[in-house]
Amino acid sequence: MSEQLPAPDFDAQNYARPNQNWVCGHACEGQPCRHGPDSKGRCRATAECKPVLETKPGETKGRWRCTRPGEPCESGPMPDGSCCRPISKCSPVPTLRVWRRRATLAVIAASFAVLLVLLGNPSWRNNFISPGEISSAHSGEAFAALAATNRLNQNCGACHVAGNSGPNGMVKAALSAEPGFFEFNKFLDAHAAAPTAIDGSCEQCHVAHNFHQPNAAAVSCAFCHAEHQGKLMAAATDADCVFCHGDTVKMAAASTAGSVVPVIHHFAEDHPQFRFITEKWRDPDTLKFNHALHLMGATIPNLPGGAKLDCAFCHQLDAAGAFMKPVAFENNCRVCHSLQFDPETPQLQLPHGSAEFVTAFLRSLPKQYADLAAKKNQPDANTYVQQKLVALRTQFGSGDDLERRIFFSTETFGPDTQVGTLSGSTRALFPGCELCHEVKSSEAGSPAITKPIMLERWLAQAKFNHAKHANISCGQCHDAVHSKDTADILLPAKETCATCHSPRGGVVDTCATCHTYHNAAVAAR
Amino acid sequence: MKRFRRQFFLGMLALIAATMAALWLHKRFCALPDYAFLTGWILFAVMLVLTFFNARKKLPFLALGKAETWLQIHIYLGFFTVVLFLIHLNFRAPHGWFEITLAWLFALVSASGVVGLFFSRTLPRRLATRGGEAIFEKIPALRHALKTGAENLALGKEAKSPVIAEFYTRQLAPFFEGPKNFWLHTFESRRPVSALLAELDDLRRFTNEAERATLDKLAALVRQKDGLDYHRALQLTLKLWLFVHIPLTYGLLVFTVLHIVLVFGFSGGVQ
Repeated sequence: MSEQLPAPDFDAQNYARPNQNWVCGHACEGQPCRHGPDSKGRCRATAECKPVLETKPGETKGRWRCTRPGEPCESGPMPDGSCCRPISKCSPVPTLRVWRRRATLAVIAASFAVLLVLLGNPSWRNNFISPGEISSAHSGEAFAALAATNRLNQNCGACHVAGNSGPNGMVKAALSAEPGFFEFNKFLDAHAAAPTAIDGSCEQCHVAHNFHQPNAAAVSCAFCHAEHQGKLMAAATDADCVFCHGDTVKMAAASTAGSVVPVIHHFAEDHPQFRFITEKWRDPDTLKFNHALHLMGATIPNLPGGAKLDCAFCHQLDAAGAFMKPVAFENNCRVCHSLQFDPETPQLQLPHGSAEFVTAFLRSLPKQYADLAAKKNQPDANTYVQQKLVALRTQFGSGDDLERRIFFSTETFGPDTQVGTLSGSTRALFPGCELCHEVKSSEAGSPAITKPIMLERWLAQAKFNHAKHANISCGQCHDAVHSKDTADILLPAKETCATCHSPRGGVVDTCATCHTYHNAAVAAR
Repeated sequence: MKRFRRQFFLGMLALIAATMAALWLHKRFCALPDYAFLTGWILFAVMLVLTFFNARKKLPFLALGKAETWLQIHIYLGFFTVVLFLIHLNFRAPHGWFEITLAWLFALVSASGVVGLFFSRTLPRRLATRGGEAIFEKIPALRHALKTGAENLALGKEAKSPVIAEFYTRQLAPFFEGPKNFWLHTFESRRPVSALLAELDDLRRFTNEAERATLDKLAALVRQKDGLDYHRALQLTLKLWLFVHIPLTYGLLVFTVLHIVLVFGFSGGVQ
């Protein structure tokens, strides 16, 4: 390596080194001293030279010689050996480099001071380090009362162990954190979302933590419920659900014997078809109802007031607007199916709901007609009753025949006279129980009606809100006009939902739109 | 220039590639439960590398590569750090006093770095355009020499013009006394020196031939002093931005270390 020599005109004495911390106070006058300040900024100026004592052979005193660079001075050294030309002391000036270092140290010191003051004061600490507003569920008077009940700290310590301590405790907590500072393999673990120590704080109040399906791996509360995001706790996102449901390993582990838990990323893409379709479920209800006939049948009369029978007459929203109220005979059927058995006496109708009551009613018909005569102020009640009974016998035969007719007839056309609230020649208003119900003979010989089982929910794991779908017609989702069988389940297929609930349809299609993570049944326990 | 363009092209290419890769990795792995820890450590490591550039300048005896190479790495890595910072925040605004302070410190350090880069790319060009060379540390001495020269012309033994002496005492002495017009020089304004030279020119009407020769010399000294002030203003600007960038960097590191302690201390896994 060749030695780099200074240029011939290089003035070593006046060379300004940018990395020097101090410069001579005379430098601004263009006359810096040869020595310059020391590293601590003290002036080292003494004199222009340091005379040297030269002693010739034989001499005892010797002679002081001037060593000034360039030419020796005219006067020469003083008799005591000191230089005759002392340099006036200066006040060395710090360079920008020193000022910058001072500014850096000041900022570092100020940072430490501010942090120590804020972290050392418990009342300021929590506000200062909190990474955002706590949700209203975990703050306010209600939470304070709950925390007091559960003997929890009112502040950060309610959830965080480190929140109960000062700076030392925070450092200790950090050093014992799991995963630790440099456990990068755990940071990279794509399957980890297991409950941690902080979930213990959650469970102080939320007593049943594992609300999800029992075959699923437990997930930390904080994985989905991110706190410190404002008054409203951030809603779980699809990414939270897909973390497990999009993971083949997790889903394989969660699969119980004989069942495969599908891997799902997006509703429209890979959400499986609804089970009632894939498993060909049938409605087990014994009640007989033909949707197609009621909606499209030419023989279906108009409702009182002239309106045509439609879906909304029987299926009405409940108070919450989410689901439909159960169809009830009194509200939805009686207007057409009035249970009138005597064509000439519309005031007398069979009771609905119990075969025993119907039997008892029929066997007390003389009494029923007598009561009716009394209500109508018939002058001769006995004659009235006898006339009615004779008319019934004429039409139906004996009492047993009438009873059999009422329970088991499935005739669809009835008397050509005014009955119930409808008039004209119409279908039988009350041909018999068996038209709608499953009627069997009991061991005792009396008829028994199988109680209808009307399931309120088919997709029990999903939620739905009819009110939010009010802008579309019933028929767009429920193919009722083609259903003639009660066993048909008139729910839409997944593709029907995905028509709107998909990126292409433009309607929200998040997991949480239909599903909820927490299992309400387990939670209730 | 060709070399600079090549450096710029390669640097931008590397920055864009790194940004694209980081965003792709973010999209791929952002669902990891401890993702923020990962991005946080990467960000901190990059910040330490950036800070080490300052230490590298103080260790010229170590064979750690050219300072110029380090500067290029510092610049492009600095821009990439902003991307990493946004990824670490998951592209959300920070919340809470501490995190907001931390974010502001980062923003100020980054912004001062960008400003410094702008200065270091534009001010040397302006200095070269103006002409002349002056080592910043020698500027006080040069100014002193100019002041002495002007004093000798106006007030020295050979000066015999009361008009010039009066004008020097009133107008030129304050001008030569110290650095002037920092902000005006920074914004490339020559209004003050033009006004001063115009006044000197006006003075010619009241002077004889010999005095005019003195005025010409004084005008030359005024121009030199103005050039010196211009150099000082721009060179000082080139140094002053570091008074924001470097101290705040260390403040940011202090807050970052505390941030690491807090996130681990308050994380879910604390025993």
